[in-house]
Amino acid sequence: MNKLTILCFFLTSFVATTVQAQDLSPEQASGKVVFDKWCEPCHGRVAGGLFGGLGANALPGTSALGVKYKGDLPAVLEDRTDLVPIYISTVVRNGLYGMPISRKTEVSDTDLDNIIAYLTRPH
Amino acid sequence: MVLPPNLSQAEFDTALSEFEAVVGTDWVFSSDADVALYRDSYSPFWGEEEERIASAAVAPDSVEEVQEIVRIANRYKIPLYPISTGRNLTYGGAAPTLSGSVVLDLKRMDRIIEVNDKRNYALVEPGVSYFDLFNYIQEHDLNVMLDIPDPGWGSPMGNSLDHGVGYTMGSYRDHFGSHCGLEIVTAEGELIRTGAGAIPDSDAWQDFHYGAGPSIDGLFAQSNFGVVTKMGVKLMPMPETYMTCTVTVPRYQDFQAMVEEVNYLEDSFLVGMPSYGSPVGGGLFDPTSLEGLMQNGWPTIEQLEEFVTAQNKHAWSVTFQLYGPEEIVRATWTAVQRRFNDKIPGAAFQDGDFYTLPIPAEDIPALPDKARLGIPNLEIFHIVNRNPMNDNDPPDGHADMFTMTPRTAEGVHTAARVLAEAYQELGFPAATHPFSTPLMFYSRAMVVAVLIPTWRDPAKNAASRALYERCLDKIAEQGMGTYRTNPAFQELAISKYSFNDNALLKYQEKLKDSIDPNGIISPGRYGIWPANMRNNRG
Repeated sequence: MNKLTILCFFLTSFVATTVQAQDLSPEQASGKVVFDKWCEPCHGRVAGGLFGGLGANALPGTSALGVKYKGDLPAVLEDRTDLVPIYISTVVRNGLYGMPISRKTEVSDTDLDNIIAYLTRPH
Repeated sequence: MVLPPNLSQAEFDTALSEFEAVVGTDWVFSSDADVALYRDSYSPFWGEEEERIASAAVAPDSVEEVQEIVRIANRYKIPLYPISTGRNLTYGGAAPTLSGSVVLDLKRMDRIIEVNDKRNYALVEPGVSYFDLFNYIQEHDLNVMLDIPDPGWGSPMGNSLDHGVGYTMGSYRDHFGSHCGLEIVTAEGELIRTGAGAIPDSDAWQDFHYGAGPSIDGLFAQSNFGVVTKMGVKLMPMPETYMTCTVTVPRYQDFQAMVEEVNYLEDSFLVGMPSYGSPVGGGLFDPTSLEGLMQNGWPTIEQLEEFVTAQNKHAWSVTFQLYGPEEIVRATWTAVQRRFNDKIPGAAFQDGDFYTLPIPAEDIPALPDKARLGIPNLEIFHIVNRNPMNDNDPPDGHADMFTMTPRTAEGVHTAARVLAEAYQELGFPAATHPFSTPLMFYSRAMVVAVLIPTWRDPAKNAASRALYERCLDKIAEQGMGTYRTNPAFQELAISKYSFNDNALLKYQEKLKDSIDPNGIISPGRYGIWPANMRNNRG
């Protein structure tokens, strides 16, 4: 099994879960809206890929986490149950590898709190 | 905390209070934690003394607030650095060119004033992103297609004003070339509109971008002459269909004939952006299969022809994008095949994708190649993010090094050769090779691209900076330059445009001194320093 095959396996071996809006608190629902705008394009579940087929199996952030965690943790952020507020806020405000810093004119402190509420919800 | 040049803490505090009186206390950012959010995430100087650091940021919500802020900045001689969405990553992001500047963060000005799908334009504010504009068009079921850059998180205005580029038809890919009308707050706080927008109550602002007399629009791109607060964007009517098709040619030396034919087709407005490739050349970012070929220096033409023959593949490919009614795009493809058959023996042809447009919303997430259909996305990050090849040491960012070449095979090969030399001279594996192919973002120029990693590690960044600068030097020796770069390299890049003892830059600085006498707008951007800071050069 080559590296690319391993990556594809990691990324497809997690069962997709559909978030039901009625299951979310108001803060979590707001957080999902912010997540979908600012995070999902890189960390979401469905990818199309680039010219030549690169990345057809996962969005870039999801793909990167699949490589990083090698199946120990879900590659899709919304499937994670181990995220803690300080980690989320640190990454959003400091960036991490290719993910840049997000300013308060983009993701306000309230937005960030809501993203945290969404990603750390019990599920 | 970094202070603006020649300003005391007390004076700066007073100025910040005046900014707060204009925009409210929530929208002036001066704490260390808040100012740190304006660092360049991909800075080639991250954590070093030369890293560009803001003194504060102020985020207005209206043109009138921008005018007030500019007037305050003039009184205190505080440099302002306007940003739109601040996502100009690899080219500086939200960080200023001059440390101590106050970032004028225009993200809150995010109004889509109009999208007209009968006259095919949009009028937007700086903080509107390509995602925002695309969503607006979808929600209002408007019959226009965007031309977007990769990634799509930036703003149409900011991208255009930095000479950004896209993927569809030639006239739309040049984003500044396809703007239609600007509204500008001058460096002294006056409000002007260009083109027909200078006629009071004109309904033709986005239809007639020249007006009468000299056009000044170009002064506000990659420069520091004012703050653009509105911009018109020409939009392509939504084509009925989209089709891709690929031509391959067998020999190494067929590339010049291929380039000439592609130039003909592009300049005749028959095809959208062509994508060159090489079936024997590996991927754009994976030249490892060619390392053996380059072990003893740049190969001869005979060696290259032998290499192609041994691979039993064609040497070059080009994929065309066709936009329009189905009968037109299919007839165009027939004509393209006839023309290549007439000119290049052994040319081969392959049909590609065909879509009826617009793409249904539910099909978009899994659609490949979204950018070529004007759909904003971030999937381009696959080429720089952590992947199985760099798992142990993914980069923190990248500095894009784009070499603008003549539209000839020789131009492309020369750029590829000297860039490979630059890499090898500094101990890096070559990132270009004899089968490197150009990007055609601009329809009238070719781009040979290399992405140089940046890091949050000073030693690694020093090596990357040395490589970037060596690349700039090497291409300039061949009469080539770059089109866009990080503030860390802007002075060096501009210094290569030195015809007649730097007459162009001297002229730009004369304009700067007249238009912005206090030198408050983005000092140093693209090498243009105001008179009172000209000793900052270098």
